[in-house]
Amino acid sequence: MKSVKIRNLFDVVVIGGGHAGTEAALAAARMGAQTLMVTQSIETIGQMSCNPAIGGIGKSHLVREVDALDGAMASATDQAGIHFRTLNASKGPAVRALRAQADRSLYKNAIREIVEKQENLHIFQDDVVDLDIADDRIRSVRCAIAGDIAAKTVVLTTGTFLGGLIHIGRRSKTGGRAGDRASTDLANKLRALPFRVGRLKTGTPPRIDGKTVDYSELLTQHCDEHASTMSYVGHQSEHPRQVPCYITYTNERTHEIIRAGLPESPIYSGAIEGIGPRYCPSIEDKVVRFSDRPQHQIFIEPEGLQTNEIYPNGISTSLPFDVQVAAVRTIKGFENARITRPGYAVEYDFFDPRDLYPTLETRLVESLYFAGQINGTTGYEEAAAQGLLAGINAARKVADSPQWFPKRHEAYLGVLVDDLTSLGTNEPYRMFTSRAEYRLRLRQDNADIRLTEKGYELGVVSLARWNSFKAKREAIQECKQRLQETNIHPDEERVRTLEDLSGERVSRELKLYELLKRPRIETEVLHSSGWLCDIPYAILEQASIDIKYEGYINRQEKEIESANAKERMAIPETLNYQSIDGLSNELRQKLSESRPRTMANASRIPGITPAALSLIAVHSKRERDQRKIA
Amino acid sequence: MNDTICAVATPLGSGGIGIVRVSGSNVVHIAQQIFGRCPEPRIAEYGDFRAADGECIDSGIALFFPKPNSFTGEDVLELQGHGGRVVQELVCERVQELGARIARPGEFTERAFLEGRLDLAQAEAVADLINASSKQAAHAAARSLSGEFSREVLAIDREVLELRMYVEGSIDFVDEEIEFLDVKTLVQRAANIEEQLQSLLRRTELGATIQNGLSVVIAGPPNVGKSSLLNALLNEDRAIVTNVAGTTRDTLDATINLNGLPVKFVDTAGMHESNDPIEEAGIERAKLAMKHADVTLWVVDDRVEDAPDSPNCDDLVVRNKCDLTGLSPGSVNDRTVRTSAIHGKGLSAIHEFLVKSAGYQVNDDAFAGRPRHLASLRQALDRLQQAILSLKAKSGDIVAEDLRHVHIHLGEIVGETTTDDLLGEIFSRFCIGK
Repeated sequence: MKSVKIRNLFDVVVIGGGHAGTEAALAAARMGAQTLMVTQSIETIGQMSCNPAIGGIGKSHLVREVDALDGAMASATDQAGIHFRTLNASKGPAVRALRAQADRSLYKNAIREIVEKQENLHIFQDDVVDLDIADDRIRSVRCAIAGDIAAKTVVLTTGTFLGGLIHIGRRSKTGGRAGDRASTDLANKLRALPFRVGRLKTGTPPRIDGKTVDYSELLTQHCDEHASTMSYVGHQSEHPRQVPCYITYTNERTHEIIRAGLPESPIYSGAIEGIGPRYCPSIEDKVVRFSDRPQHQIFIEPEGLQTNEIYPNGISTSLPFDVQVAAVRTIKGFENARITRPGYAVEYDFFDPRDLYPTLETRLVESLYFAGQINGTTGYEEAAAQGLLAGINAARKVADSPQWFPKRHEAYLGVLVDDLTSLGTNEPYRMFTSRAEYRLRLRQDNADIRLTEKGYELGVVSLARWNSFKAKREAIQECKQRLQETNIHPDEERVRTLEDLSGERVSRELKLYELLKRPRIETEVLHSSGWLCDIPYAILEQASIDIKYEGYINRQEKEIESANAKERMAIPETLNYQSIDGLSNELRQKLSESRPRTMANASRIPGITPAALSLIAVHSKRERDQRKIA
Repeated sequence: MNDTICAVATPLGSGGIGIVRVSGSNVVHIAQQIFGRCPEPRIAEYGDFRAADGECIDSGIALFFPKPNSFTGEDVLELQGHGGRVVQELVCERVQELGARIARPGEFTERAFLEGRLDLAQAEAVADLINASSKQAAHAAARSLSGEFSREVLAIDREVLELRMYVEGSIDFVDEEIEFLDVKTLVQRAANIEEQLQSLLRRTELGATIQNGLSVVIAGPPNVGKSSLLNALLNEDRAIVTNVAGTTRDTLDATINLNGLPVKFVDTAGMHESNDPIEEAGIERAKLAMKHADVTLWVVDDRVEDAPDSPNCDDLVVRNKCDLTGLSPGSVNDRTVRTSAIHGKGLSAIHEFLVKSAGYQVNDDAFAGRPRHLASLRQALDRLQQAILSLKAKSGDIVAEDLRHVHIHLGEIVGETTTDDLLGEIFSRFCIGK
């Protein structure tokens, strides 16, 4: 094929314009790399293929990390969020999380605008059909129309499009998402490479015309009165009009219809081979596995301000369309509902992330990076964070700079890439706060403190954000200083207010700093009783959280040190797990597959027992001793 | 494939029987060569142990335990011959000729551990069982060896895991339809775990006491009857007793068994101003012994009204020679007891005091506890107690953090955070061939 040159050579070519693709392309371009984003359809850049919400527990932590590195997701959410709600508000700052329902088109527009404005970033609409790899290094990508485009590095972010197969009932057809073509040619080419490939499954519920829903009897869920912003540099004034969500439930009649439809379900008929997420089962799974539950919750999410369509979260399904219609109409509020788009399941290829470095570069092909669902993850936030990391490393590769990735104690992104690249996954991987052992440090409120300075060093953070961050960091320091210095007297007037609000007693003179260590003295209490009112609330909150958690965080520092020691305890690559008699067959299998690089990695393998770890430690030592002798 | 190791398994020196133990992949060959055949599994067979030239080194019983049903999990051969040192060494040398090597300290146990026959706590219990100095200590070690200790730790670990499941679930899946437990139920469950952990800790502490015993120093001014008291407590004439002050110049120790509690008594030189360099050195040693003792028996003459006070207030003051004052012996009062060592009076009051101060009770449910087990159990208990407080007052993220650490500390006992070094330490403490 004769090739038409868009440009002789790109530093970074990003394949895909989803959440991973946009962050990868933006990050590389921010770092000065000449970047090309190739997408099947420019119209779908920034599209939310699943439910119209960003953030949530564990996920807002990732969004904030993306934001701390100057990524687009948080800002776009502030521009598109039509229902902001803080989750786990009373369970402590470490697990507090912000979630926003987003208007799909506002979100897409916001992302599109950021992408189009970005210097060094070129967008091109075409199908990538092949990758040219020579001497285990990526050389160029082949597009269906434009032909070969030479690339120093390539980031592959093809989501569910590789070998995508959509199921509704017994009918299936290829496709990456309803209405979009799958990347079958590219999938076939990639399958020929020596990467380990697996199949995963995910699904969506049918969408419903909101005009046909009777909300009068449904539970209303209102958004927060004082909405936070998703971005550290965002402002509430960016938020569009806020709307409520609603809650309804399935019932026994719904379940009967679903049970009757099971023989037609592609999951139960065996048509689907991919593994779906345990934490996000389809409604037919819920009905079968939790048959004693009389009802299942449905969270009715608005699709946007300009549309009546709603997304009934909780009834994802691949049952035949007529069963979907019948089942939906048994649900309270949906008696006369009209489905606008049928629910479906989609199966897709993913590449075993254990074939990646934690930088997201593939181990087998130099300068080729994978990010997003292709690595077996699920979720916009997980995808965006990976995209950002891959973009950073692709740009650094081009500049001949060392690769970078955050550690487990630095970021959820660090936990994510470490889990994926050392353990792999056998279901779509989603972030949870419980995956992070240093959870008390990795909060959504301090992602910028953790990452922005590093981002500035890496060149992915703009000067403007760096300056505003520095000002914030100084303000927090000053605030801490004042908390250390300010005395409070028991007979002060505002102490009464404080006592009333908190239920704590102040019986002697003490510093605000000491007072804050008491469990019931929250930032809110301090602020409302009239202390340090001149300090912006966000700053005061940040300072008080640090003080409150000081003891625990210092203890974690020690744990991190000892974990780092384990991290340095390498397991010899030659270690033969099959020959360790004390290990169970299951563990031998798991260990042989994932080949942990260090004792720290080994200790995180699911199902690993303390005794097994001791065995690995001793055998590693033996192996090393023997090699020393040899 | 493991190489083959051998060692004399019985104590070195002369004894009725001497056992050479061989373990590894070459055992069958070695048996055929030295014994002329490989014995039937687990059947004691009598025969000759022969040298390379066919000469008989010794005659005795050969026992063969094929893998994996042996102590180490490998093929094991035991050659039970006569207990002479030279004879045992000859057998060992012959086995080495046939391809075995002398085992490193603790290597048999190490192999048992590596083959998955023992977990870490069990492996440690082997050493404790061997070193047990009383029946109770042996029982405690045997219970740990049987895996009962590990099982109890694991059972508690499971419950912590379940508790964590609820706590973590309520954090990560707040909007989902999962079963939540209210704070009251969580506190109840945590308190229940706390109780189990406390009981386990108590039994392990008891085991440690049995293991380590009690060290008791007998000190005081000269010529108050310290050595007589030692002899009386031991019920034998161990120390030289004269009526000359300063007869005891060096420390002297002896151990008795008080209902299973090993008690080591240390007799010391009488404390007074002295110019005799030998006596001075003895007094220095006495002071040092007192510093390291669990309990000091500060002995004074009952006839002396203003006897010098003991340097430590928590010692037991023994007013000896009460036969000469006519006051009645026995019963500890205000940390003071009257005795008459030469008439053997008032001794049981001292025994009772010692047993009580060790926190020892005759109770056969102890576990052989090592310092690291105790440390981990105490830390786990501490974090659990904090978690209970946090559950009542603080937020979920702190509770979760405390519970995570309970888990980590329990994991330390059965081996989770074990490093190379710790393992090396543990195995080097075993003696050869056990």
